[in-house]
This record gives sequence, C-alpha cells and structure tokens, in this order.
Amino acid sequence: MPARYPRSLRTAGAVAALAIAGLLAGCTAASSEGDQQSLTYAIEGANLSAGHMDPHSSQLDVSALVQRAVFDSLVAQDLDGSFQPWLAEKWEISEDQLHYEFTLREDVTFHDGEPFNADAVVANFEHVTAPETASAQAASMIGYSADGGSYLGAEAVDEFTVRFDFSTPYAPFLQAVSTSQLGFYSPAVLDEKADELKTGGPGISVGTGPFVLSEYTPDQEIVYTANPDYDWAPESAEHSGASDLDELVVRILPEPSVRTGALASGEVQVAGNVTPSTVGSLGDDITVNSVELPGLPYSLYLNQNNGVFADVKVRQAFQLGFDPQDAVDGIFFGQYPRAWSILGPTTPDSYDSSLEQRPAVDVDRANELLDAAGWTERDAEGYRTKDGERLSARWIAYTPIPDDRASLADVIQSDLKGIGFAIVREALEPAAYNEQYGPKTFDITDWGFSGVDADLLRSHLHTDGFQNASGLSDPAIDTLLEDAVATSDPTERAALYTELQQWNAENVAIVPLYVPSMITAFSDSVTGLTFDLYGRPLFYGVQVQGS
Amino acid sequence: MPGASARWLLGRLGGLLLVVWGAATAGFLALTLIPGDPVDVMLGVQAQVSEQVKAQIRADWGLDDPPLARYLQYLGRLVTGDLGESYQLRQSVSSVIGEQLPATLQLTLLALAFALSLAAIATLAARGRRSTRIVSLVELTAVSSPTFWTGLVLIAVFVFQLGWFPIAETGSLRALVLPALTLALPVAGIISQVLRQGLDAASAQPFATTAIARGLGGGRLLLRHTLRHAAADSVTLVGYLVGTLIGGAVLVETVFARPGLGRVTLRAIIDRDLPVVLGIILLAAVTFALLNLAVDVLYRWIDPRLRTGSAAT
Repeated sequence: MPARYPRSLRTAGAVAALAIAGLLAGCTAASSEGDQQSLTYAIEGANLSAGHMDPHSSQLDVSALVQRAVFDSLVAQDLDGSFQPWLAEKWEISEDQLHYEFTLREDVTFHDGEPFNADAVVANFEHVTAPETASAQAASMIGYSADGGSYLGAEAVDEFTVRFDFSTPYAPFLQAVSTSQLGFYSPAVLDEKADELKTGGPGISVGTGPFVLSEYTPDQEIVYTANPDYDWAPESAEHSGASDLDELVVRILPEPSVRTGALASGEVQVAGNVTPSTVGSLGDDITVNSVELPGLPYSLYLNQNNGVFADVKVRQAFQLGFDPQDAVDGIFFGQYPRAWSILGPTTPDSYDSSLEQRPAVDVDRANELLDAAGWTERDAEGYRTKDGERLSARWIAYTPIPDDRASLADVIQSDLKGIGFAIVREALEPAAYNEQYGPKTFDITDWGFSGVDADLLRSHLHTDGFQNASGLSDPAIDTLLEDAVATSDPTERAALYTELQQWNAENVAIVPLYVPSMITAFSDSVTGLTFDLYGRPLFYGVQVQGS
Repeated sequence: MPGASARWLLGRLGGLLLVVWGAATAGFLALTLIPGDPVDVMLGVQAQVSEQVKAQIRADWGLDDPPLARYLQYLGRLVTGDLGESYQLRQSVSSVIGEQLPATLQLTLLALAFALSLAAIATLAARGRRSTRIVSLVELTAVSSPTFWTGLVLIAVFVFQLGWFPIAETGSLRALVLPALTLALPVAGIISQVLRQGLDAASAQPFATTAIARGLGGGRLLLRHTLRHAAADSVTLVGYLVGTLIGGAVLVETVFARPGLGRVTLRAIIDRDLPVVLGIILLAAVTFALLNLAVDVLYRWIDPRLRTGSAAT
C-alpha cells in the first residue's frame, strides 16, 4: 500500500491553493477616476517600435496616425478634399505653378518653447530631403527625388513667409503638406537629436500639436498630454484652444480580439484597426466608423515583362476568368466593397464610376481569349498548354499573409483552374520577396496602397515608377501621368485620370479586387471624435463622459 | 572534495565558452547564408529609396565587406562585450536587450513561481486514486492547450467578464498575473506529472518500506526521502522548461501586449535586424548553458553519489 499522506499536508496544499486564488483575486483594486479627461485608444501598431516613430522617414500609416497628435501641418484638408488654413494663414501659387508661397501664423510655438517660423519650416523640409533621413514616403509626397524630381527646395523669404520651388508643376503639393508626414519638429530637436527621431519619445517627438508626447514605452503605450498653450487649430475645426482631453493614451494591443474586448469592457474608449469579422460582435453602445480608403484598392499586379502576361489577351482572360464578388462579400463580412477601378471611389477628383458597369467575369470570353492566344491544348491535369508549356503564372506575396487574403487567393486560384490557367502561389518572407521583386522575376504580386491624391498611380504605372510591379513602359501612359500631376484644375485632372482608369480596364496592368476600409469603433462615452479622409481618428476636440 | 569540484566547475565554464562561441558562429553563418538584402527589409518592402541611399546605408553598416572580414570583426567586438547596433532601433543591441530583459525576466520568474506552486499543489493535494484522475485530466488540458488560446480565454474571463485584471494598464504587478499564469499552466502540468510519478516510484522502493517499518510518518518520509528522489528528475525538467518559458513569452507578450524579449525577437527576425537576432541567440545560448550548469550543481547537491567523483556526470 503506498504511503498515505497526513491530513496536515493535504491541508497545506489546500491552503496554498487558496493563497494563490487570494493573490489572484486580491489584486482587484478599483482604479481611481479623477476629474481628468483621459481617453485610451487601442491600436494594432506593433511595428512602431521598429524605428517608425518619425513620420518624416516612416512609410507606415501608423506613424502618421499616432504622431498627428504632436505634429501640425501647413494646411488642413477637409473631407470634401478642399484645403483650409492651419499653420499657414494663406498661400499663393504662381501662375506657372512652379512656386508656392505660404504666409505663416506668427503666434505658434513648439512644445519646447522654440518659435515656429519660416526657418523652422525650411529646417524641417531639409530634414525630409536629407539623404541621412532616408525618407521612404514624405520625400516622395512632395515630388522630391535624389536623381532629380520636381521639388527643388524651400526658402525663407522673411521671418513668416516661406517659398517652395519646383522644376515642373506639381499639383499634389498642398495635399502633401496637409499630412503629418510633413509636420514640423522643433528646430532644436532637428539640430541636436536627429539620430533619435526614428526611435521617438519625450523630448524627441517635439512639435506644435495639441498634444505633447510625455511618455513612451515601445510596444506598449504612448502617453500624450494636452498642450495648454495650443491655440492654432485649423479654421475648419469645431473646437478651439487647448484640447479638452487632458491625456490621450495610445495603447498598443496587437491582437484584434483583445482590442475589441477591451473596448467592450470599457477599458479603452476607442479601438482602431477593427477587423471586419469582429464588427458584428460589438454591442449597441459601440459606434463603428468605417471609412473606405482612398487610393489604390487591394489589387493584383500582372508583370508583363515576364512569362505569359506579355500577351494582353492572357491578361484580359485572367481578369475575366474569376469572380471575386462572393468571396469578397463573404470573407470581409460585407464590410469591404468590391473594387472596379485602380482608384477607390473616395479618391478626390478622379474616380471613374462608369467602370462599375463593365462585366466583371465572363468565363466564355476568357476561354475565347485564351484560345485566340494559342493556349489550345490541355495537359493531363486539365491545364491549357502551348508548344508543350503549361499556362501558368507565379504569384509571390510577402509574409505575414493575412488569412482573409489567403482565402481570396484560394478562390482566384480555383476559379482560374476552371479555364485551364494554373496559378502557383509562393509566400516569401520580406527579404526573400525582395530578391524576386527587385529583378521582377514573378508574374503576379499583390497589395493595396492608400493615398488621398490620385497621383499615387504614377509610382505604379509610370516607366520610372518605384512600385511599377506590372513592368509597364508606355510613353502614352507616362505622358498622361505627367500631365495629370501638373494639372491643378479638378475637372481636367479628373478627365486625365478617367482616361488612365479606362486604359487599365482594357489593358489590365492591375486587377483591382476590393476597397479596404479603416474601421474604428468607439464607445458612447466619447463625443466630438472626427476622422480625416483616411479614416484616421482626430482626438483634438474630443470629450469623454465619466463612466 | 573541494579540488575535484573546483576542477569540475572550471571544466564546465570552459565548455560554456565553447557553447557561446559555437552559437555566435552558427548564428552568423545562418544569417549570412539566407538570401535577401537586410537593407531592403530595413527600409520596408515598398519603400522608395534611391540605390545611392541604399548603398550608403550598406556601407554605413559594413554590409559590403566580405563575410570573413565581417565574422572576424564581429568576434572581435564580442570579445570586448560589444554586441553591435540594431539596424532598426538605432541603438546598441546591449541596451535593446537590457531594456527588454527585465520585463521578460519578471514574466518568466513569476511564471516559474506559479508553475512550481501549482505543480506542488496538484501533486500534494491529489494523492487518492480518484483525485489523481481528476487532477491528471486538468494537467493534460493545461499541457495540451496552445498558449495563445489559453491567454485569450483567461483575458476573456478575468479581464473582460470579471474585470479583475487590466489589459490596458502597464507595468503593474496586476498586469503581470495573467500573462505569467498563461505561461505557467502548461509547465505546471508537466512538472506535476513528473513529480507525481517520481513520488510513486520512490515510495515503492525498499528504502521507503524500511523507513515506514521503522515507524517513520508519511509526512517525514515525503519531506526527507521520497520528495528528494522525485525532485532529481524535476530539476532537469525545470531547467529545460525555463527555456520554453522564454520561447513561450513570444506569444504571451503578443496576446497581452507586453514589452519583452519575445516580441523584440519576433520583430528582429521579421525585419532581418541581424545584430539583434545574433545578440538574442547569444543570450539564449548563455542562458541555456548557465541553466545546465545550475541543474548539474543542484544534482550534485541533491544526489550525494555524484560528489564522490566516481559517478558519471
């Protein structure tokens, strides 16, 4: 008979169990609610810590999103696309559109007490274009390129007047200077802490904004506190003076269900990057704001310099050979609409809605096109062949690949198999992806690219475009894109972009699939929350009702 | 036998250095051989940066030197204790690790404490046949549930439903409890299974029968004899499990949105931040080697036979 243990030991075990339970429960102290107006905003933003706290150099949306609290812009863009004075009281564009002159407000100071003036503006633009900054986004937004772009430079005309010069007309400039990517750092910080801007933090991310970055724990939270001196909100803002929120806490919660759970349980008041699948599960006291992103929808890029897509008939057949509508509706719970054009419907002054009338899928026509292109034989597995070669395209994607996009790809792959078209998919980690992307040794790749100005098509379709994944080189298209960027009349511009969208629908360099939305959910206790054109929440002017 | 023990310890420390060198070399080789340009990854897949700027960055980081030269430079810096500078975070690897280590240590130490307490409770409280069955079932569930899922369930119940713990709060002990428990549950399950088996085996041995025959009570038998026997196996296991605690921290830190080495490691691998990856490989190698050493020292203390020098180690 095995040794029995005395009662005292069993009791000891039970006591220890109770002690642990007590420790767990004993930690339940009520958190104190002061008079302070504090709001917590949960975001996904795990990669901010990888040197992405500087919107001047980061290409990530999240950098611009959180640092908007700290950085103001020269002008503000309204939801209708028009521009309002902000740090610049007024501006003039020369007749030849080569010079922009801004008259600055004279009452603006940085968080560290430095004055905001023309010299500060110039110093910031010099930082954006400096080679050490290696700006991935901001520099390109103003048309700057080390190999000679439109942007020539900024110059202080007098203390509160600054002029920008261009070698060729550059219409998206006002839009660019309305974003936090082109916000302003204190000149003292640019002088002394240029090396630390990417890492960010208190005393480093110093701007003129309504909030001061006061605490930063990478991968965990950023605490912004109200700037009591703030009195230079855009004219269009409904609030003025200092923010009513004393504290804005940006909490990084990478797991989507944790973000929405924290919102539902009242731990946070606003949750960002809400996934379509969780929208339905949010309670009645939660408001969901969904903003369709402007710019290039999530799309497939067909490389016409490599393999089967050199033939326009094959590209057309590809586009007609699958039906993403049901898949998009199902996978995204009806939250993301099907895309019809290479520009999303919310892109100002450019969307061609007539494309919605085109037939999206036509299997018979796709088969005719492939027959006409010479892919008439079939192999044992049912795929089409020509001269013994299988009709096959290689799709490369970089990891991590979200589940929803993987499901969508499954549908496309299986639909295309029906017309005898083989799609071979490869998931590559970013370094391996670049190995293929650089020399363009793929047939298909995928991404969406949001942006307010339709000029972002230039980087995707121009011969010299840095994201020209389709390998396109067509002088007529180059001219169209160049004319469009140099045209400031909205009607003329829209006509040029319509032509481009029609051209793509016919020639199929890019196959648009769905228009993603920025989904933000917030509790009823929050009032005054507004959103910019990208669907990013703006916390200036927000109030929180005590719970 | 102090002389033998000292020699034994010296030998083990020499082995430790070899392990660290081996890990440093293997890590360097692996990271040099895998394809892909770290500069491209560093800048982001869709970044618009001219070749000129890329070349500049490459030169700045010494990425265009031949691999052998880089290896020697790297070893040279290691000897002086310099782990290099992170590509992404623009700070030294030692300070990256130094900043994140406390958070991970807190998490793993509390997890270990939870695991040992839970294992002890499970082993000691359940000694009858029926209670053993129930506890075994609970252990099996704890061991086989994915950490990620356990974490989400704990959050759903204790944070969102009961509101006992915060998720949006940082740095407090309260915020540490659930992540540590998540990590501890599977580990506790394994330890208690092994501990119970050890106890059963030990109490079936002749010395236990003899001790009982001489009138030794069950409690004293357990504390002075059988537990000691059973502990020997568990110590090795705990040493190994501490390693898995650090690995498990990757998921737990993500679910609970905590800072720490786990998340830094994950990011460094995705971003191809070579100096950080190498630094963490080294840290892991040193940790495992030290844990092994500690386990062996503990063994010698628990089992006197190993101290005579004649027993194999």
